[in-house]
Amino acid sequence: MLKISNLQAGIEGKEILKGIDLEVKPGEVHAIMGPNGSGKSTLSSVIAGREDYEVNGGNIDFEGEDLLDLGPDERAHKGIFLSFQYPVEIPGVTVTNFIKTAINESRKAKGEEAMPANEMLKKMREKMSLLEIDNAFLSRSLNEGFSGGEKKRNEIFQMAMLEPKLAILDETDSGLDIDALRIVANGVNKLKSKNNAVIVITHYQRLLDYIVPDFVHVLYKGRIVKSGDKTLAHELEAKGYDWIKEERVEG
Amino acid sequence: MEALKDKLESSFLVFENELNGQALGEVHNRRKEAFERFVESGFPTKRHEEWKYTNLKPILKHDYRVFLSDDNTVDFSAIKKFFLSDTDTYKLVFIDGYYSSWLSETTHEKFDICTFSSMLTKYRDVAEKYFNKALPKEEALASVNTAFAKEGAFIRIKRNQTADKPVELIFITTDHGVETMSQPRNLVVVEENAEVSILERHQSLSSKPVLTNVATEIFALRDSRLNYYKIQNDVHTASLIDSTSVKQYANSSVTVGTFALGNKFVRNNLNFFLEEEYTQSYLDGITIIDEGQTVDHHTLVDHKVPNCYSDELYKGIYDANAHGVFNGKVMVHPHAQKTNAFQQNNNILLTDKASIDTKPQLEIYADDVKCSHGCTIGQLDDEALFYMQSRGIPEKEAKALLLYAFANDSLRNVKIPALRKKLNRQIANKLNVNLDFEL
Amino acid sequence: MKTEESYLEEVTASEYKYGFYTNIESDKVPPGLNEEVIRIISAKKNEPEWMLEWRLDAFRKFQKMTEPKWPNVTYPEPDLQAISYYAAPKKKKELESLDEVDPELLKTFEKLGISLDEQKRLTGVAMDVVVDSVSVATTFKAKLRELGIIFCSISEAIQEHPELVKKYLGTVVPKSDNYYAALNSAVFTDGSFCYIPKGVRCPMELSTYFRINEAGTGQFERTLVIADEASYVSYLEGCTAPMRDENQLHAAVVELVALDDAEIKYSTVQNWYPGDKEGKGGVYNFVTKRGLCERNAKISWTQVETGSAVTWKYPSCILKGENSVGEFYSVAVTNNYQQADTGTKMIHLGKNTKSTIISKGICAGKSNGSYRGLVKIGPRAENARNFSQCDSLLMGDGCGSHTFPYIETQNKSAKIEHEATTSKIGEDQIFYCQQRGIGEEEAIALIVNGYCKDVLNQLPMEFAVEAQKLLAISLEGSVG
Repeated sequence: MLKISNLQAGIEGKEILKGIDLEVKPGEVHAIMGPNGSGKSTLSSVIAGREDYEVNGGNIDFEGEDLLDLGPDERAHKGIFLSFQYPVEIPGVTVTNFIKTAINESRKAKGEEAMPANEMLKKMREKMSLLEIDNAFLSRSLNEGFSGGEKKRNEIFQMAMLEPKLAILDETDSGLDIDALRIVANGVNKLKSKNNAVIVITHYQRLLDYIVPDFVHVLYKGRIVKSGDKTLAHELEAKGYDWIKEERVEG
Repeated sequence: MEALKDKLESSFLVFENELNGQALGEVHNRRKEAFERFVESGFPTKRHEEWKYTNLKPILKHDYRVFLSDDNTVDFSAIKKFFLSDTDTYKLVFIDGYYSSWLSETTHEKFDICTFSSMLTKYRDVAEKYFNKALPKEEALASVNTAFAKEGAFIRIKRNQTADKPVELIFITTDHGVETMSQPRNLVVVEENAEVSILERHQSLSSKPVLTNVATEIFALRDSRLNYYKIQNDVHTASLIDSTSVKQYANSSVTVGTFALGNKFVRNNLNFFLEEEYTQSYLDGITIIDEGQTVDHHTLVDHKVPNCYSDELYKGIYDANAHGVFNGKVMVHPHAQKTNAFQQNNNILLTDKASIDTKPQLEIYADDVKCSHGCTIGQLDDEALFYMQSRGIPEKEAKALLLYAFANDSLRNVKIPALRKKLNRQIANKLNVNLDFEL
Repeated sequence: MKTEESYLEEVTASEYKYGFYTNIESDKVPPGLNEEVIRIISAKKNEPEWMLEWRLDAFRKFQKMTEPKWPNVTYPEPDLQAISYYAAPKKKKELESLDEVDPELLKTFEKLGISLDEQKRLTGVAMDVVVDSVSVATTFKAKLRELGIIFCSISEAIQEHPELVKKYLGTVVPKSDNYYAALNSAVFTDGSFCYIPKGVRCPMELSTYFRINEAGTGQFERTLVIADEASYVSYLEGCTAPMRDENQLHAAVVELVALDDAEIKYSTVQNWYPGDKEGKGGVYNFVTKRGLCERNAKISWTQVETGSAVTWKYPSCILKGENSVGEFYSVAVTNNYQQADTGTKMIHLGKNTKSTIISKGICAGKSNGSYRGLVKIGPRAENARNFSQCDSLLMGDGCGSHTFPYIETQNKSAKIEHEATTSKIGEDQIFYCQQRGIGEEEAIALIVNGYCKDVLNQLPMEFAVEAQKLLAISLEGSVG
């Protein structure tokens, strides 16, 4: 599904990713962990196509297509979803209106008709109950005045509505209390299928107790320095990242 | 107004004659240019957009004596109260436009704190480099001052120097038994990485109307820091027109605080020209006036280059039939990206006869900027007043306290403790209470 | 939100969508401005003597005035002698029904998406259509007549209701108010008149569509709306103009009178031809709009301004009566080389008067937008309240946005709050939308519509939809 080879990228002339290789197949959950500043958020931004980042080498292949040539909206149409670490506020634009626009723009790109209103409504109700969102939420301005938990729940709600093939959750656990974390994780798990994949980017093991990864990768100084299964995450939690750093030095 | 204009025109010829050898050269060319501009434009009237709310006519109708004699003297004891107490300062004192050496304390050592006239003779290069290079040409009153520019303060803090104590500029007008006009001219140059605080006051001892038309040019060079405070608390027969222009260069930080409590009439034209990037500018003002007083603050912050920060905060309290004007303009030129410009003007009217006209303006020609202005006109919060009264604070004191709290923000950049104390006392006086408070 | 569907509409044409013009024969007076022309206009319209005198008086006042230079706009001064002051479709006879209307004209309205029959049947909006200064169709008259509501062309009102016209015309905007108002008073050819009797709530939105449709024809509409005691009316005005190379002058005057306890809601969507991408052509829109509020009355102006090459326009309220309320909600979009200097005046004279100003400016391309507003609290206006919010959104580094508020207070009990901000559309906002599959242009339309929501919400539904489309069209191609 997603194949990243020797990806090098940076921002304002500063090199951050120094050759990333990663392959994600349908049905898999990958966790990318690493200390602050290791390049986790850069990786998610580059996959989603944020223009501030310069790609200096390597490529990203998504279902046989080179992603790097596509704009961020075109990547979204292909089925890539990024749950933002800091979702932006858009005053005056309601959650409903935003989601409706997003869904129908994607459909339009695929040459499909706009989703009929009743179908949209039905789907919204269904996903709202999944994420324990109430009606009033839908008519609020997007992310404006939302608590941290509401913002993250809104991200996963949008993910549920858009049904992406590949979802990247960038620090979705940050700022969440344990109840909100459980709701969000539960939502993600319910949306998982053999046809889609999830990349969880996180600093801590906490979220991985709820969204159990098939693979764990450790990102350090712009490179994936270690990969393993979920036990690697526990090991990191127990030993901290210093252990990796030391290993790097010794190696 | 026409009479005064005629008088100034003939006075200029007299002035030129008296200059003798100094009537030649670049400095005098600039005087002449300015004078010609004034002759052409005349005094501004209410039809002039920048004078829409302020009528100069009643101020300019007097038959002011333009040239004063230097035979009046003043005892230090009579003017002691105008100085900062409890703190040592450099002092430049002028009596009727003449430098008073026995009341002053100047220096030429690490920095020049001396007179404008000695600058003109001693540092011709400085005069040519800076004289009339900051004031906008189109301001008529500044042009008049330029035409007659002869005496005032010259302050130059040399590269990497920090003035060891604040500088006080005090301009005294004595009683000549007639209406008088004076036109001091100041030049301040704060060189690279230098620092100084300056305090300016104009004080009339005359029983007759006095008009002071002062102009000050300030150059804050790279990395310099300047605090410039104006105490405008003169008697009610005195009028003040103050034109101050600041040019700021890279990474400099300049505060101008204008505290208008007295005078019959005050007009401040304060301009900041941001010539290079990463400058910080603070414009603070307080107006507290009552019976028969008018104060008009005109400010311009001209963002010519990217990455500059400006912050303006003016508070006004108007009692009796006082009239206040605030006209603040923030101009952001094309390419002045990443400008941060803030402007706030809050006013309280205490009576039905008091009035305030305010015109905060933004003119913005660059898109990646953060600019805002806010303006309020209102009254004291009745709830707060009641709350204080219910805790035993009498109404008058409670009101004063609330008003003081309202105005106090604008003292945020007053960094000389003795000055802060003095301003606090003056504000309390003005509010007619005797409270020993400091917020 | 009530108009969600509209976002989903595909925006097709990137050039001016309504840039076509109808080929109708006109009865035209040769160009020029003089007393003779005014006499011809008055005679052609069969006006009574007092009306002619009124015009001539205005013309004499006009001759002593000069064009105002204070707005923050620059343009070549229009040559008033090159304008033809009267053009009317040749068929002058009264029309009984839409069938009698020139089919060419009906087609034009269809292209605009405002077919008369559709409007009539589906929305219940009565239409008074002005094409080149003369009304050619008026609908729903019968129904309005039952309620005693008069809704007709101003020419007709001069004939049929001279007492009302005489009493109110020029009372809110005096003949000598300003240069263009004086010109309008002298040469206006048509416009709308509306009178709502005491206690009547007008059951439908009254609407006029103005259209400049004859090369070289200036437009000088005159609108007078009178809401008698305790009545209510919502009035809509929309403009579209054909693509034209030369500049066209539009100098309308709108007067609103809200008597005790009455309420007038006046909404405008303005989309005159703005000129091409190089700033060539386009309409000059110099409008005087003002309303007078008596006791407990309320006037609410809502405008969405996207068109015209040069605009100056300050819909204002004189809050004369106690407890009267004035509102101004505005969205002004400028793109390419457009210039707009717009805002409002709220003149508080009576006790307990309240005003609200919400102004949203959007500048793109090489355009310049200015907010100019006056809030004046008179000495007798006890407890007056004003809240103003003036925001500007900038798109691109070639445009300019300016705010010139004037606040004059002569009463201590006044409470005034004015806030203004200027910012640009956040790149992170656009990226966020794009990540959810929304293209850049759609993202901007979405963000801009959100930014303008407080104003758009004030518009009647069908206008809100049109306004949103206009915002999107107006800003096309403004990023990148």
